[in-house]
Amino acid sequence: MFFEIELEHRIGERTIALQFQSQARLTALVGPSGAGKTTVLNCIAGLVTPDSGRIAVNGVVLHDRSHRIDLSPELRRAGYVFQDGRLFPHLRVMANLAYGERLAPAGARWIESAEVTELLGIRHLLQRMPGTLSGGEARRVAIGRALLSAPRFLLLDEPFGSLDPARAEELLQLVERIRDSLDIPILLVSHDRSEVERLAGEVVTLQ
Amino acid sequence: MQRAFSLVSRRLLLALLPALLASCQGGSSPPAAAKGPIVLAASSLQEALTEVAAAWKDHGHAAPVLSFAATSALARQVQQGAPADLFFSADEEWMDRLDHAGLVRSGTRGDVIGNQLVLIGPKGTAAHGLADLGDGRLSLADPAAVPAGKYAKAALESLGQWDAVAAKVAPAENVRAALALVERGEAPLGIVYATDALASDKVQVVATLPASSHPPIRYAVAVLTASQHPDAAGFRQFLQSAEAARIFEKHGFGAIK
Amino acid sequence: MSGLLSAAEWGVVALSLKVSVVAVILTLPPAYFLAWLLARRRFPGRILLDALVHLPLVLPPVVTGWLLLLAFGRSGPVGAWLDSVLGVTLVFRWTGAALAAAVMALPLMVRAMRLSIEAVDRRLVDAARTLGARPWRAFLTITLPLSAPGIAAGAMLGFARSLGEFGATITFASNIAGETRTLPLAIYTGLQVPGAEAQVARLSLISVALSIAALVISELLVRRSGGSRAHVL
Repeated sequence: MFFEIELEHRIGERTIALQFQSQARLTALVGPSGAGKTTVLNCIAGLVTPDSGRIAVNGVVLHDRSHRIDLSPELRRAGYVFQDGRLFPHLRVMANLAYGERLAPAGARWIESAEVTELLGIRHLLQRMPGTLSGGEARRVAIGRALLSAPRFLLLDEPFGSLDPARAEELLQLVERIRDSLDIPILLVSHDRSEVERLAGEVVTLQ
Repeated sequence: MQRAFSLVSRRLLLALLPALLASCQGGSSPPAAAKGPIVLAASSLQEALTEVAAAWKDHGHAAPVLSFAATSALARQVQQGAPADLFFSADEEWMDRLDHAGLVRSGTRGDVIGNQLVLIGPKGTAAHGLADLGDGRLSLADPAAVPAGKYAKAALESLGQWDAVAAKVAPAENVRAALALVERGEAPLGIVYATDALASDKVQVVATLPASSHPPIRYAVAVLTASQHPDAAGFRQFLQSAEAARIFEKHGFGAIK
Repeated sequence: MSGLLSAAEWGVVALSLKVSVVAVILTLPPAYFLAWLLARRRFPGRILLDALVHLPLVLPPVVTGWLLLLAFGRSGPVGAWLDSVLGVTLVFRWTGAALAAAVMALPLMVRAMRLSIEAVDRRLVDAARTLGARPWRAFLTITLPLSAPGIAAGAMLGFARSLGEFGATITFASNIAGETRTLPLAIYTGLQVPGAEAQVARLSLISVALSIAALVISELLVRRSGGSRAHVL
């Protein structure tokens, strides 16, 4: 059982309620804009504490209100690729990539930086400052940074948004490769039906 | 739109009406002459002059407006054209300066009272004299400009003590500030007027400086040429009356024979 | 250049610089801590703390100096302890002038730093947390470097304020030549003595020049910190 999510959270006027279990290697979370998909990811990553629920990934319980379990974000080992990238503007691409890598427990690293830069095609960007990158380049660096932090699972928030079709296709193939070759569950948020159909083994809808 | 406007202006008038009426009642607000003359006085005169002014008021006159500061600061204000009526100085030198500058009305200048210098310490001090200063500082009014400080420096110079303590002086803005430093125990010793020591219950007199060691301390008063207050001359005279003399003496000031 | 000011006057400038530099260095850590508290933390009494920090900005400086005297004077609670335990006196000493300057500079420094901390996007800190950084490390590697221009701007502003500090200094530390007679006090003393106008003019000129320099540098640093560096890409 890769993802076992059950949560309820009130945000402003709305209440988000979600419950699902998924065995697929890549699960897609879909729903109308504003439904709270990003909030769900934030709850799983530990950045937001849901009002109630239980969150377990790969058998590890990250949050369980009734049992008073609530791991802090740095202990959950989520590889979170944000919708807005969030590269650290004062560090070069190389330092951004290494940020999580340096903090990962020694035995837990399952991929090398050389492999990641190769996979993502970002070797030529290593010395650049994030402010000089294009949207697609920044997105790839963000993915690389998440991969290098020795995550136990990946959270991808609209990773193909606002990219031109050629770039988006490259990235889609990349995610397929990650899904197929790396042993790591992925939760993908997307509003694009074709992407979802292509990548997801299971689809969860948030109303 | 026009109807709304006239509504607003009517409301405005109603709101302002009480204020307009009140300002018409000229009788209730005191005319300019009901405030007494403005007196610029040395800070050491604080308690005594306040009492004298109260006595003047009891005689049915308007209460004088008193402003206390270091004589030097007040003289500078007069030089810059401050609108005051009387100047009550703690030494002749500053009065001379204003006199030479034509700021003093002729015939109105006179000496009123005298004072003495004392060496003080905080209440309960074990000090006996300047020798007990040690590492501490000697609190004086600024010897470069303020009368109390100038007198103190003159006295110490004539006693041959100035060179020894010059580097340890804490120059205060006026004699009362010098007094406060000793009251608080920040300075172990200070030199102020005998009247200041009398006015405070937190200091004690360690020694009195001999009158021969410094120029005689004379407080001079005069009406300023800029004065326009009708009571100015009257109050000036009152300062030399027997009643005022009694009050000054009560506070420790010496009478001028 | 040495003909511009007399040796004593250069001494005054040197003392002013010493007092101001020490004041700023001492105030930097507490100012940044307070700025961070007010920017990032919610707690009961937060508004009160904000008001207290700004008090020296709105109180008459003489009152601040008097309050310092009450607390740090020889007979005050802190002053008595400093005197008996550490043998440190502040009144009549340049350290007292530095304390007065520090207290007066604090609100300005806190304001500048708080603005730059608030400008650091919290989402960047969130990202660092998900990458495995504990809160302390996220602060050191993300918030602190990104708010650094604000620290520098606050320091320059505090320095400029310290250079001009008068009321609290003369009330608390007194006006001792060579110890607490900083530029503003020296100018004031010069005004007391007739005939010292030339000296007053020279010292005032230096004072203006130093203040303008500090303010211009501070403004440039504020402009830099307000740029895109602190935002999410």
